[in-house]
Amino acid sequence: MSAAAIAGVLWGTADISWSDRLAILMQREDAPRGLSLIVWQWRVPRVIAVALIGAGLALAGALMQTALRNPMADPYLMGLSSGASAAAVAAIIWLPSYLTELFGVPLIAFAGAALAFLMTLGLSQRRGKAMDPLVVILAGVAVSLMFQSLTAFFLYVGDPHATRNAIGWLMGTAAGTEWSEIPLLAVAVVLIAILFMAKSNALDATLLGEERAQALGVRTNRIRMVIFFATVLLTGLAVSVAGIVGFVGLIVPHMARLLVGARHHVLLPMTMALGATVLIAVDLLCRTLLAPEELPLGVLLALFAAPPFILILRGLRRAA
Amino acid sequence: MPLEPALSLTNVTVDIAGKAYVRDVSVKVPRGEIHGLLGPNGAGKTTLLRCLYRAAEAATGQIQAQGKEITDYTHQEWAKTVGALVQSSGLLAGLTPRDVVEIGLSVLDLPANEYATRCDEALSLVGLADKQHQSASALSGGELQRCYFAQLLACDPDIYVLDEPTNHLDLHYQLVLLDEVKRRGRTALLTIHDLNLAVRYCDRVYLMSEGEIVEQGAALDVLTRDNLIRHYAVDGQFVGKALELAGPILGQLDQLKNG
Repeated sequence: MSAAAIAGVLWGTADISWSDRLAILMQREDAPRGLSLIVWQWRVPRVIAVALIGAGLALAGALMQTALRNPMADPYLMGLSSGASAAAVAAIIWLPSYLTELFGVPLIAFAGAALAFLMTLGLSQRRGKAMDPLVVILAGVAVSLMFQSLTAFFLYVGDPHATRNAIGWLMGTAAGTEWSEIPLLAVAVVLIAILFMAKSNALDATLLGEERAQALGVRTNRIRMVIFFATVLLTGLAVSVAGIVGFVGLIVPHMARLLVGARHHVLLPMTMALGATVLIAVDLLCRTLLAPEELPLGVLLALFAAPPFILILRGLRRAA
Repeated sequence: MPLEPALSLTNVTVDIAGKAYVRDVSVKVPRGEIHGLLGPNGAGKTTLLRCLYRAAEAATGQIQAQGKEITDYTHQEWAKTVGALVQSSGLLAGLTPRDVVEIGLSVLDLPANEYATRCDEALSLVGLADKQHQSASALSGGELQRCYFAQLLACDPDIYVLDEPTNHLDLHYQLVLLDEVKRRGRTALLTIHDLNLAVRYCDRVYLMSEGEIVEQGAALDVLTRDNLIRHYAVDGQFVGKALELAGPILGQLDQLKNG
């Protein structure tokens, strides 16, 4: 992870010589002013933000998979990301700017994510029966499509000036991340991670099944509510900083499980470290592959995620 | 002071979505005895047990363990006193049988220095010592049941609640595991479909039908030919301690019940 972070700071669109890179990082007096600005105002906050988003989304995915005992659970697949972005776009276009500023895009995105999550769960609920993992995914896809078409609709009918703002925001690159966006994200990711590390035993028990966890004294409804709130919060924040970033929450926890097993006291740290590493690396590729053009994060991620996604799906079919 | 029962249910009624699945049931299990809930599918046996591992709540009535109300325990304290083997499916990818046993011990916060020995003993008791580091999701149904049995035996609560403990188990392990519960002298309340095992292990049985206890007593006294016909729709009777079955009764059950 640290290697990826260092690479993310060192390489980028602007061509900077090795000696200058060193000088900039050491904050030496003789470092070139303009390049120093690029590194400190652009790359460093960007790498930090991308790491936090990767860690946060992967954490959200791992927690959702545990809470629903569903290997396909993921903030993107279940429609949370689409809900968050539709809400944010609507707010940017329709709400008077003082209101948007008052609530803040993160809070609005959070509300959208929560709404989408409730809809997905509502659609996949069957009276008195356990939710079928595949039905949950289908419900998530349906909700996701609905919010995506809503987003498109908002963009189409909206006032062109506001629409341009919204599109810029929607494109979902981590480009232009500012230092000011980082503290909220960092605090949320760290606090949520600490909270669930402390509850790792109860999360372990949740994996064994609803009633088995209850028989071990775990209050499953309570812990599930906390998990839902945390995942919606993480997704809303991630979307509000970098737009829709899919598949990190789905694939990364599976990679971590293969490496260290499913016990949460080791799974959660590994998931977050991997999530951060993967996203920094993908972001670096997005910046450099077609330099000076930038690819949105989601494009490359979807490309990398498709094969493992299909593997997980096949595994699910075999288990059923 | 008269000896109070280790586990006591008094006039318990359980409603689910307005319908009474268990009606006015009272069960007292004295310390060290094994009692069995018998009856056909849908009689309310599992619903009653669910109250004992706090997956359901009794609408009315009292539930006590060691003389103390269930509501006076925290969920965790209750789980330490009353351990349960239940039917429920999980997401086992990335877990080993040993993990499953350890999770039980760690959630209940049992003494850390005994962890390893307790896990080892329980896993070898259920015959999974050699598979303890394999993937739990690759276990067969019977092995998985043994794995969860090992979790309960490692936690070793004062009171065992067992919902169909012999599910998926081969004959050998049915006897091994129930013998172990009896050998430990723990108090137990279980549901069981195998009436031969009920006769072998239960000090007392309760025959349930449509949410109510209709007969109770020693297993051989309750499981008469008449009761087998009436409640199980089966023609058979115990000869000595073995059930001899003539066959199912088809069609005329309602007349039998009314007649």
